[in-house]
Amino acid sequence: MISRFKKFAIKQSINHPLRTLIITLIITIIMGSGLRYFIIEDDMMKMIPKTIKTRIVWDEVKDEFGNTEMVFVAFGNDKINLFNSKSISDLWDFTSQLELLPEVEDVRSLTNLNKMENEDGFLLIDDLVNSRDLSQVQIQEIEDYLNKNLDQRKRVISSKDDYFNIVVIPDKDVADRDAVAKIVETANKLLNDYEIHFGGPSYLIGVVGDLVRDDALFLIRIGLLIMVIILLASLRTFSGVMMVLFVIVLSLVGMMGSMGWIRGLTGSDRFVFSIMNTSMPIILMTIANSDSVHFLTKFFKKLRLTGNKKMAIEQSINSLMMPIFLTSLTTAVAFLSLVFAPIEYMTGYGVSIAIGICWAWILSVTLLPSLIMLKKWPLNSMAVKKPGFLEKLVKRIGYNIVKIPRTVLISSLLIVSIGVYGIKLITTEVNMVSFFSKGNEVRNSLEFLDDNMLGSMDLQFLINGDLKDPELLDQISQLQDYLEQNPYVSISVSIADVIKQMHRTVMDDNPDYEVIPKDQQKVNNLYTMYSMSGDPEDLSSLIDYEYSKGLLTAILKNHSTGQSVEFVNDINNYVEQNFTNYNNVIPTGQVVVLKDMVDLVIKSSVISILVSIVVIALIASFFFRHISWGLFGVIPLSAAVILTFGFMGVLGINLNHVTALLSSVIIGVGVDFAIHYISQYRRLVKQNIAISKQTTSVIDEVGYPILLDALSNMAFGALLFSEFIPLQHMGGLMVFAMISTSFGTLTILACILELITQKKNWMDSLIRRSTK
Amino acid sequence: MIRIIAIIIIVISDISAQSGFEIATMVDKREVPKDIISKTTMLLTNSKDKTRTSTIFSKSSDNGSKQILWFLSPADDKGVAFLKIEHDNKSDEMRMWLPAFKKVRRISSSKKGDSFMGSDLSYEDMTSRDLEENSYRRLEDDVLDGNNCFVIEVLPNADIKSTYSKHITWIDMKSLIAVQEESYDLSGQLRKKKKFFFDSISGYDVINKIFVKDVQKNHTTTLTMEDIKVDTGLDHSLFQEKNLKRMPRN
Repeated sequence: MISRFKKFAIKQSINHPLRTLIITLIITIIMGSGLRYFIIEDDMMKMIPKTIKTRIVWDEVKDEFGNTEMVFVAFGNDKINLFNSKSISDLWDFTSQLELLPEVEDVRSLTNLNKMENEDGFLLIDDLVNSRDLSQVQIQEIEDYLNKNLDQRKRVISSKDDYFNIVVIPDKDVADRDAVAKIVETANKLLNDYEIHFGGPSYLIGVVGDLVRDDALFLIRIGLLIMVIILLASLRTFSGVMMVLFVIVLSLVGMMGSMGWIRGLTGSDRFVFSIMNTSMPIILMTIANSDSVHFLTKFFKKLRLTGNKKMAIEQSINSLMMPIFLTSLTTAVAFLSLVFAPIEYMTGYGVSIAIGICWAWILSVTLLPSLIMLKKWPLNSMAVKKPGFLEKLVKRIGYNIVKIPRTVLISSLLIVSIGVYGIKLITTEVNMVSFFSKGNEVRNSLEFLDDNMLGSMDLQFLINGDLKDPELLDQISQLQDYLEQNPYVSISVSIADVIKQMHRTVMDDNPDYEVIPKDQQKVNNLYTMYSMSGDPEDLSSLIDYEYSKGLLTAILKNHSTGQSVEFVNDINNYVEQNFTNYNNVIPTGQVVVLKDMVDLVIKSSVISILVSIVVIALIASFFFRHISWGLFGVIPLSAAVILTFGFMGVLGINLNHVTALLSSVIIGVGVDFAIHYISQYRRLVKQNIAISKQTTSVIDEVGYPILLDALSNMAFGALLFSEFIPLQHMGGLMVFAMISTSFGTLTILACILELITQKKNWMDSLIRRSTK
Repeated sequence: MIRIIAIIIIVISDISAQSGFEIATMVDKREVPKDIISKTTMLLTNSKDKTRTSTIFSKSSDNGSKQILWFLSPADDKGVAFLKIEHDNKSDEMRMWLPAFKKVRRISSSKKGDSFMGSDLSYEDMTSRDLEENSYRRLEDDVLDGNNCFVIEVLPNADIKSTYSKHITWIDMKSLIAVQEESYDLSGQLRKKKKFFFDSISGYDVINKIFVKDVQKNHTTTLTMEDIKVDTGLDHSLFQEKNLKRMPRN
C-alpha cells in the first residue's frame, strides 16, 4: 500500500504539482472550517476527572456547602487608618456591588459581618455595620466590637488597620475566569483611591489561563521566527524555508480545525482547548518541521548529485516515504494512546495531534514536493551547490564516532545514568503561585496578602458525623487549635466557633463559657436559637441540612504542594489519634484536587510514554521485519526520556500539568530521528557500502537533517524568556528534548550500530533475515 | 359579616375603577379574627430534597402582631418557646426560652431579611405591610384556580429598608386574601413565589396553608395549620415572658 501511495505521490507532485497544491489547500480549508466550532475552555477545574476520589469529595462539598473556593481582595493605602466614614462607605459600595453580581455567590467583608452580642441579657445577632454612612461614634463602636472579637477582626482588616480584606465566593456554576474578571472590574471601577491586591485559588485559576496562553502565543510566534532564521541560515534558501513554514501552518490549521469539527459534530467536551493543550501547537510544529526538513535536505542532496529536479524529487520521495510514514504512524499511535488517559481533555489532545501528524505527513510527501516542483532551482544556488556549515559539522561528528564508538557509547550511557538518578529528584508542584516569577504583579499581590492579611490559600476538611454531638464539636475545636499552631495557618473556621461564641453570649458574655457545652440539649438549643435570631443561611457554609456533615476551612499563607501534602498527612494522623467516635475527616479543596489531577497527568504521561515505546518497537519491528530493529528504534527514545526527566529532577524543574505533557515532544521527535537513522542504515547496508563507511555515510545522510531539525526546534527555547515559570520550563524542556533526542540517535544508536557492524557476520545475518 | 357583604358589593359594583392603593386598602381593612390558635407543621425542603419537619403550637392575636409559640417536635427542639410582639414605633420584641439553659433570651429582629426559623419566610414576610410604606399599581386582573383575582404591584418606598424591590400580588376578589405573590430581590430578580390557601372558619377566611419557594435557592417551605380555633378570647397577659416556660397541654 505504501509503495502504491509512493508512486501516486511521485506522479502527482511531478506531473500535477499545481493541482496537488490546490487540492491540499481545499482539503485544509475544509478541515480548518471546523475552527468555528473550536472552543477555548478556561475553567481548569473542568479537566479533573469526576471519578477521582478527591474530586468526588470536592463535588460533594460544593453540592452541600456551595462553592468553597475564595477570591481574596484587599484594598487600602499603607499606614492610612481605614476606620473613617469614607473608607467604610467605599467598602459598603464595593461589597454591595459584588453581592449584586450574578457571578458571585457570597461576599464577606466588614460591612456585612454579623455581630453576636449580649447586652443586659439581650442576645443580638445583627449586622455589625447597619448603614453606608456612619458617624464617628458608630465607627468607634464597630472598632470596639472588633477589638473584643479578634478572630472576626483578623478576617476583615489588616493588623495595622490600613487594608480591608474582602472574601468573595464565586458562583459554583460560573467559570472562575468570568467571576474573577467581574470582581477585578468592579474593584477597579470603585476603588480608584486605593491600592488593590487580589489572591486566592479561584483568582489564580481565573487569571492564569489567559495570562499563560497570551504569553505562550507571543513567545511561540517569536520561536517560529527564530526557527525561520535558523532554517534560513542553514538551508540558505528563502523559498525553501517558506515551503517548510507553509507545511507547518497547514498542518496546524488541519489539527485545530479537526479538533473543532469533532467538537462540533460530537458535542464532546473532550475536544476543547484548555491550558493543558498549550503544548499541542509546539509539538505539531516540531513534527511537521521535522518531516519537511528531512525532505528538503534530502532533495538538495539529490539535486546536487543528479542535477535533475524531477529525479531529485522522485529519489527523495522514494527514500523518505517509508521513514516519514513510519515516524508519523508511530508518533500518531503514541499520541492516540492518550485516549485511555483518565483525564478527558487528553483524549482530544491525543486524537487531534494524531490527525495533525497524519496531515503533516501527507503534506510533506505531496504538497512539499509539488511546491518544490513548481519552483525553479538554479543548480548554482548556494543551497544546491555547496553543503552548509552544519552539514560539514555533521560529517566531522560521523568520522569521530567511527573512530571511538566504544568510548562515545560508554560516555553517553554514563550521562544517561545521571538521568536515572535525577528522575528520583523530580517533584510535583501545583501551587499556582509557583507559576509566577518574583517581581510579577500577581506574585506581588499574593505576597502582600501573605505578609499583611490572612494569606492567599485555603484548605478544607469535610467532617462526617453528628454535628450536634458535643464530643465531636469539641474535637473539631481542638483540631482547629492544633491547625493554628502551624505557622502557615492564619485562621480556621468551623461550626464549633459559632457554637462556642453563642454559648458565651447566652451565658451573659462570660469568656469562661466560650467552649462547647457538654450537654447535647444545650447544643440543640443553641442551634435553634441561631435559627430564630440569625439567618440559618449563615451556617450553610459550615454544616449541612441534616447536621451530619461539617466543613472546616483553614486560610493559609502560600506554601508548596509538598508542604500541603505533609500538612494534610499530619492532620490525618492527628485525627486518627484524637478523634474518638468519628474519624472521618477528609481534606479537600482546589489544592488537594489539583495535586491529584497533576499526579494523574504525570501517570498518564508516563503510561503514554511507556505504551509509545512498546508500540513504536512493535511497529518498527513489523515494518523493518525484525524485532532487533524495533529495539534499536526505541533505544535513543528511551535514553532521551531518561535524560529529559533526569534533567528536570537535577535542575529542580517541577512537574505540573503543563510540563508533564510536554515530555510527549520527546516521543514525537525522538522516534523520528531513530527511524530515519535506521531506515537509512538499512538502505545503505543493502547497497553493499563498505563496512568502514556505513556509519559515516548514514550520519552524513541523515545527521544533517536531524541536527537542523533539532536546532530549529530549539527556537521554542524562546519560551525561556516568559515571565511564567511553567513556560520557562517548557522552553528549557524543548531545548533539552532536542539535545537529548538528537544526542540519543547520533551517539548511542550510531555507536551501537557501529559496534554491531564491526561484528559483520551478525549484522549480515540480521539484514538478510529482515529483507527476506 | 355585614361588613364583608358590603365590601363584596363594593368590589362587584366598582371593580374596574379601583386603583392599586384602594385594593390594598380593602385588603388591609378586611375582617380578621381577634385571635387564632393552631398547630402548625412546618416542612422545609432543600434543593436536594432533604427535609426538616417541625411542629409548633401557636397562639396569636391582633392579626399576628402578638404571637407565642412552643416547639412540640422534633425532639431536639421540644420545649423551646418563642414570643414576638410587634410595635409600631420601636423594634419588635422577641424572646426565646432555652430549656436546656433554663434561660429566657431576648433576641434581635432588626435583620428583616433573615429567615424565620430556617424557613423561606423572612421576618419581613411575616410582618404585615404598612399601607403608607409602599406604592401600588394595579395590573391586569387574572383568573387563578378558577377564581377572579386583582393583580397589584407593590413597590416599597425608597426610604423603607426592604430586602425586596417589588412584589406582584394576586388577591382573590371575593375573600380579599392574597392568594399568590411573587417577590423580587433588590437586583430585580424573582426571589420567592408564595401561595396561600384559605378556608372559612367561624365566618372568617383564614389561611390554613402557605407554600413558599425561594427560586434562587431552590428551597421550599410548607406551613400547614391544623386544629385552627378563632376568637377564643385569648387574654393579652398570655403574651408575657413567664408563659414561655409553660408549654400548654392543648
